Amino acid sequence: LEDARNLIETFRAQLRDDPDVASAVAAIRALLGFLKQDRGETIQGLRSSLLAAIDTLSRVDSSVAVSSGGELFLRFISLTSLEYSDYSKCKEIMIERGEIFLRKVSLSRNKIAKLCHPFIRDGARILTHAYSRVVLRVLEAAVEAKKRFSVYVTESQPDQAGQKMAKALRKLNIPVTVILDAAVGYIMEKVDLVLVGAEGVVESGGIINKIGTNQIAVCAKAQNKPFYVVAESFKFVRLFPLNQQDVPDKFKYKADTLKTNQNLTEEHPWIDYTSPSLITLLFTDLGVLTPSAVSDELIKLYL
Amino acid sequence: MPGAAERGSELSEQIEAFVARLRGGGERPRSEDTARQTLSLLRKIVAHGRWSRAGELMDLIRREGQRMTAAQPSETTVGNMVRRVLKIIREEYGRLHGRSEESDQQESLHKLLTSGGLREDFSTPYPPLRANVIEAINELLIELEGTTDNIAMQALEHIHSNEVIMTIGYSRTVEAFLKEAARKRKFQVIVAECAPFCQGHEMAVRLSKENIETTVMSDAAIFAVMSRVNKVIIGTKTILANGALIAVSGTHTLALAAKHHSTPLIVCAPMFKLSPQFPNEEDSFHKFVSPQEVLPFTEGEILAKINVHCPVFDYVPPELITLFISNIGGNAPSYIYRLMSELYHPDDYEL
Repeated sequence: LEDARNLIETFRAQLRDDPDVASAVAAIRALLGFLKQDRGETIQGLRSSLLAAIDTLSRVDSSVAVSSGGELFLRFISLTSLEYSDYSKCKEIMIERGEIFLRKVSLSRNKIAKLCHPFIRDGARILTHAYSRVVLRVLEAAVEAKKRFSVYVTESQPDQAGQKMAKALRKLNIPVTVILDAAVGYIMEKVDLVLVGAEGVVESGGIINKIGTNQIAVCAKAQNKPFYVVAESFKFVRLFPLNQQDVPDKFKYKADTLKTNQNLTEEHPWIDYTSPSLITLLFTDLGVLTPSAVSDELIKLYL
Repeated sequence: MPGAAERGSELSEQIEAFVARLRGGGERPRSEDTARQTLSLLRKIVAHGRWSRAGELMDLIRREGQRMTAAQPSETTVGNMVRRVLKIIREEYGRLHGRSEESDQQESLHKLLTSGGLREDFSTPYPPLRANVIEAINELLIELEGTTDNIAMQALEHIHSNEVIMTIGYSRTVEAFLKEAARKRKFQVIVAECAPFCQGHEMAVRLSKENIETTVMSDAAIFAVMSRVNKVIIGTKTILANGALIAVSGTHTLALAAKHHSTPLIVCAPMFKLSPQFPNEEDSFHKFVSPQEVLPFTEGEILAKINVHCPVFDYVPPELITLFISNIGGNAPSYIYRLMSELYHPDDYEL
C-alpha cells in the first residue's frame, strides 16, 4: 500500500514538473523507479507486483497511453528475463536498459518532427484536432525550416483543448484559426492536409484519439485530403477494435467517472477509433509507416 | 604510387562523364541500362577507391551517390543502386564482424527495448571486405540481367485467352510480358498512344510483329473504351515507398478510368525501380521537357500570351493499383513497405 502511494506520487510529480512529457513515458519512468526499489527475489514475484502497480496507475489515469506504456514495460521485463537466468544480474541489466530506453524515447519527438516536416509545403493550410504535443513539435520544426503555413484548430469540446493548442501556436507566430468542431465539414475544402496526434495506435493501423478525430478523417477521405498521424512508437497497443463499441470502456471514460458512475450510457466518451482505411501515413520514430506496416511492428515485438 | 593516382583520376573522369550524361537528358535512357552503369561505376569505386575501413567506403559511396542523384533527380534508379550497394557493404561487414545473420538491422519496437547501447561503428578494417563486396555487386548485376525474363515468365498466370488488355506508351517490360503470353494464348491489346511523344505507336508496331491483334487509340478515348477492357497492364518509371507510382504522363487518367470500371490495374516493374522516397514537397520527380511537342514554336503569336508545360511524369496513388508484378513475384501495394525493408537499410533512405 505504501509502495502504491509512492508510485502514484512519482507518476503525478512527473506530470507536474514536466508538462511536455508524454503520460506513457511518465508511467514507464514511475514503473522503473518501482522496479529499482522492489525487494523481491524472483521474476514471478516481480511480474505480479508490476501487474499490481500498473493496475494502480490505470486507476489514476485510465488513458490508452498509460496502458500501452505499462504493457510495453511488462514486455521489456519478459524479454530481458529470457536472456539472463540469474535474478540479480537480470535486474541490473533491466535497470540499465530501462535508462537507455527512456533516453532514446525522449528523442523520439525530434525524430518524428524531422521525418514529418518535409511533407508540409510552403503555403499549406493544415487542419489539426485538439492539443497534441507531437503535432506542436512537428509544426515547430516546419517553422525552423522557414516554411510558411497556416493552421486551423478545432475547438475540441468538452475541454476546449483546441484553445490551448491555438495559444501555443500563436507563440510560434503561426497564423491560427480556431473553428467549431461542427465546422470541420465546412472548412475541409480549404485545407491541404490534416495532421493529428494519437493517444494510441492499434494493431490494425488505426488510431485512438480525442473524440472528433473519426469525423475529421471521414470528411478528409470524402474530399481526398491526406490524413497524417504522428505518434511515438511506445503508443502502439495490442488492441484490434472492429468498430467503436469494441474500444474498452476504461479508455473511453476518465478514471474518476468509471469509479463513481455505474450507468455509463449517460456519459460522453472522450476518445474514438479511426479505422486504417482513412489514414494516409503514420509518422513514428520507427520511420514513415503505411497503416499496414503497423501490425508488422507489433508482431515483431510481441510474438 | 603512380598506378593508383592514374586509376584514381581515370575513375573520377568516368564519374564525371556519367554525371554529365545523366544531366544531359536528351534520349530517355532505359532504366535497366542506367542501373547497370551505376553498379559498374560503384564497383569500380569499391575496387580502386582509396579506403581502408567499411565506414570510409560507405562515406565515399554516399558522396558519389549524392552527386549522381543531384545531376538528374528523376532517374531514381541511380539512387536505388547506391542504396543497394550500401546495404551490401553493411551486410558483408556484419558477416565478417561475426554478427549472426538473424540480427535485424531495422529499427523496431523490439530493438528499442532490448538493445544495450551504441550503434554499429564500421571502423574495424577487414582485408577480405573489398573482394566480398565486389562479388556481391557482381551477383546483383547478374540479378539485374534476369529481371525482365523473370517478370515475363509470370505472364501466363495473368493473361487468359480472348482477353482485352489495355496498356499505355512503350514499356519494354510490358512488351516482353505480352510477347511471352502471346506464345501460348490469343488475346487483343489496345494501346493508348500517350501523347505528345506517341510512344504507343512504337509499342503497337512491335506487338503486331508478334501477331498480337493490336489497336492504337488516342488518350482521350481511354475512358470510352474502358468498359470493354478486361485488364490494364502498365510499366512505370519508379515505385514509391507508399506503393504509389511515378509513371509516364497519362497513367493517372488510365488508372482512374480503370478504377471507375473496376478493372484490375497490374504494374509490371522490376525491384530496382523501388525507391524509398515518399511523395512530398522535396519531390524533384517532376521533369519538364520542351513544350515544342504540345504547342509548336511556329505558333509564335499565341506563345507570347500563354504558359505551356510539358511534364513527362504522372503520380498515381496506391489505391488505384491492384497488383505489382516484379522479378520476385506478385505483391499488393500495401506490402511495398516490407519489400523496401528487405532491399534497403533505413539509415540510407536519406542519401
